[in-house]
Amino acid sequence: MNTTLYKITLLAITSTILVSCKPKFDVPDPDKGNIDASNYVAIGSSMTAGYADGGLYYDAQKNSYANLLAEQLKLVGGNDFKIPYVSQNSIGVGNMGNAPFVLGNSTDCQGVTSLAPVKLAAQGDLSVFSTNIYASQGSFNNMGVPDVKTIDMNVNGYANPYYQRMASSASSSILSDAVAKNSSFFTIMLGLNDVLNFALTGATSGSITPVNGAVGVGFEASMNNIVDKMMANGAKGVIANIPSIKTMAFFNTVPYNALKLDAANAAALTQFYSTLNPAVPFYEGNNGFIIEDASQVYSYRQAVEGEFILLNVPLDSIKCNKLGSLVVIPDRYVLTLSEIATIEAAINDYNVVLKNIADSKGLAFVDVNSFFAKIKTGFNYNGVAVSAAFVSGGAYSLDGLNLSPRGNALLANEFIKSINNYYSSAIPQLDAMKYPAVTFP
Amino acid sequence: MKYLYKLVLFVFIASPAAYYAQGFQVNLQGQVQQGMGGAGTACMQDAASLFFNPGGASFVNGNSVIAGVTPTFARGAFMDANTHQVSRTNSPVSTPFAAYGLFEIKDSSKLKLGLAVYTPFGSTVQWEDKWTGRFALTRLELRAIFFQPTVSYKITKKLGIGAGFVFATGKVNLQKDIPLMDANGNYGHAELSGKAQGYGFNAGIYFEPIEKLSIGLTYRSKVKMAVNDGQATFNVPSSVAANFPSGKFKSELPLPSVTTLGFGYKASSKLNFALDINYVGWKAYDTLSFDYENNTTSLIDTKSARMYKNTFAFRAGAQYKIDSHFAARLGLAYGMTPVQNGYVTPETPDANRVNYTAGIGYETKHLKIDASFLFTHLKRTDTNTETNLSGTFKTNVVAPGISIGYKF
Repeated sequence: MNTTLYKITLLAITSTILVSCKPKFDVPDPDKGNIDASNYVAIGSSMTAGYADGGLYYDAQKNSYANLLAEQLKLVGGNDFKIPYVSQNSIGVGNMGNAPFVLGNSTDCQGVTSLAPVKLAAQGDLSVFSTNIYASQGSFNNMGVPDVKTIDMNVNGYANPYYQRMASSASSSILSDAVAKNSSFFTIMLGLNDVLNFALTGATSGSITPVNGAVGVGFEASMNNIVDKMMANGAKGVIANIPSIKTMAFFNTVPYNALKLDAANAAALTQFYSTLNPAVPFYEGNNGFIIEDASQVYSYRQAVEGEFILLNVPLDSIKCNKLGSLVVIPDRYVLTLSEIATIEAAINDYNVVLKNIADSKGLAFVDVNSFFAKIKTGFNYNGVAVSAAFVSGGAYSLDGLNLSPRGNALLANEFIKSINNYYSSAIPQLDAMKYPAVTFP
Repeated sequence: MKYLYKLVLFVFIASPAAYYAQGFQVNLQGQVQQGMGGAGTACMQDAASLFFNPGGASFVNGNSVIAGVTPTFARGAFMDANTHQVSRTNSPVSTPFAAYGLFEIKDSSKLKLGLAVYTPFGSTVQWEDKWTGRFALTRLELRAIFFQPTVSYKITKKLGIGAGFVFATGKVNLQKDIPLMDANGNYGHAELSGKAQGYGFNAGIYFEPIEKLSIGLTYRSKVKMAVNDGQATFNVPSSVAANFPSGKFKSELPLPSVTTLGFGYKASSKLNFALDINYVGWKAYDTLSFDYENNTTSLIDTKSARMYKNTFAFRAGAQYKIDSHFAARLGLAYGMTPVQNGYVTPETPDANRVNYTAGIGYETKHLKIDASFLFTHLKRTDTNTETNLSGTFKTNVVAPGISIGYKF
């Protein structure tokens, strides 16, 4: 046998072996089941809009659970999902006019440099709010508007800068714009801001939306109104409940007892408070912070287990200016046990309403509350630990309230599971690890 | 002899890493036995008996040297149960080899000495870039070469015993991605690499109660492959590099014991049958642990449950001698997986399997050439209890092998 022939034969045998031994799968075809995914509209607030890291910006909008769900719906007949995008070149803007956070090196009052969320700029891109983009980019499928409450949905000319930039007219409401889109399929994840605006101020301002009351006043009537109008054309959809604030990184990151003292400092503080009312004993090791509480004689007391110090508490003041020990932590950075109970009661009431609406009107239901609780407990996803730990847990963005792209992908998978289950569809889930969590410099 | 020299050289230069069969055990030994489903504990046909049954090696005629290699083509794939995305392996062709030298002591037809060198365990699994399970594993390379000097003694015409000491040397290289992303969207990566050594033995009894029937019983001991001086290398975003200090690690991988009862039956001068029943002590592989020298809050020692269970394998084969030169062989083997539900990993996506084998042999007074062919297909659907990786693994393995022997 000459060499060339030998080589050809060897090559032929090798390639035959390689080709023939490639395993094959019967990959299930995506199936729309009982839904018409051609025109999907998302209703919701910050998370639906893609608000993350303390701001609304292009990449975060692109990675909202609503857009990720829309991407998967395209596999079963979905069309273009229009989003009121902030310019790709813009740093974006938060609801206080602030710039979004990134993880960077930050030097604290003690001169220690470590990784911490830092603002991208002194100020957010306020030009985002100055231009209405409806004419150039609308109408929109993603009708998620940061900060919106359920009772705001029907307000004509609703004065929210995130809505004003995407409104169809000066007299439109979010709901009227959403209904005008004449959707074939919709998702609703709404209600968190009906308690959150109150919770984020340490229960010092804002209010909790009551369950009862007319449309625009009460949660139940307002939600029923939204669902009825969205379903009026025969559209099918999904409704989600809302998470307990106890599950969220914003409320869980700073421990109530992070006041760590040595024996000498504990004795000194005990001595200092012994003449005041109430007297507070301090011990070597971890102690509850001193927090403002108007019900006490001198309006202070020591925080107890289960109370929340909010993530926006000035950490430098705690480290260097005796905040939480000699200086009382102001009420606006603290949720007390009774305040938490009030907020949680409202969330429970809303969730009862939301489940009833799903059952009575025939909508798929996503238990977002359980999903957030699962994150709080922590779980493994394809070999990766996911938890509510700030920065390192992977689920939350740097504002501690809204999800990271990875968290959004996991949330979109919860929607997909519910849709598949309720509407007998076969929509593939997302590989959540293809979406980043907090990125590290 | 020139060709033999070349073949041996090739065998030793080529990577001895191997794809799996049964856990990470590779049952690719003598080509004659391989053609017969991997059975050979009670059929003393050539010097490969040093591996299959040291007790019977003294029943093999004359002196002989055999060297063989089995290039193994394995294609693996995984379909994620939730996303339906399919990922594939790009594992290199592996070349498990075996070489045996069996020598008669002068003036004694009863005592034989031998040396066997073989690769009974090992695998190289390389998954495609960015695959779903990359945080569990991206690449695993295991190599173990066993050196087994052996004594075999024929007590009577019908009974033989033998034993060999096993010195095992090998290396392990495990890589996976770390779920910390830098600003460019690249995840971190970990590489754990080290050399391992272990000791054991291989002992057996061979008995021919009646003319046509032979029985063999062997015990190959567990070999604990210890990595005492491994090197862990982490590549993570610079801001968290201090949390992942590169440095030494320790680990350990038990290669299980195998107890085998084998039967041989000579139906005629042309036709013989072999049956082996293996009992494999996989229970030894309970936990995979990594003990890092430099621990941090991010880099803690790990203990992952593997929870392997002891298993059986059944191997049967037949050989038909066409004439004084040529022989044809067929075999079938059924192996139970040691991997329990909930513990399937991308390292060894193992399953119960059927091996189909065939072989041919050519023999003259001094020369012996044997070739074999093995095909097996694996399919396993599972959700791992630790990683939650959920889906179906499939692997197809094609292993054609050839050996050349010289008798004198």
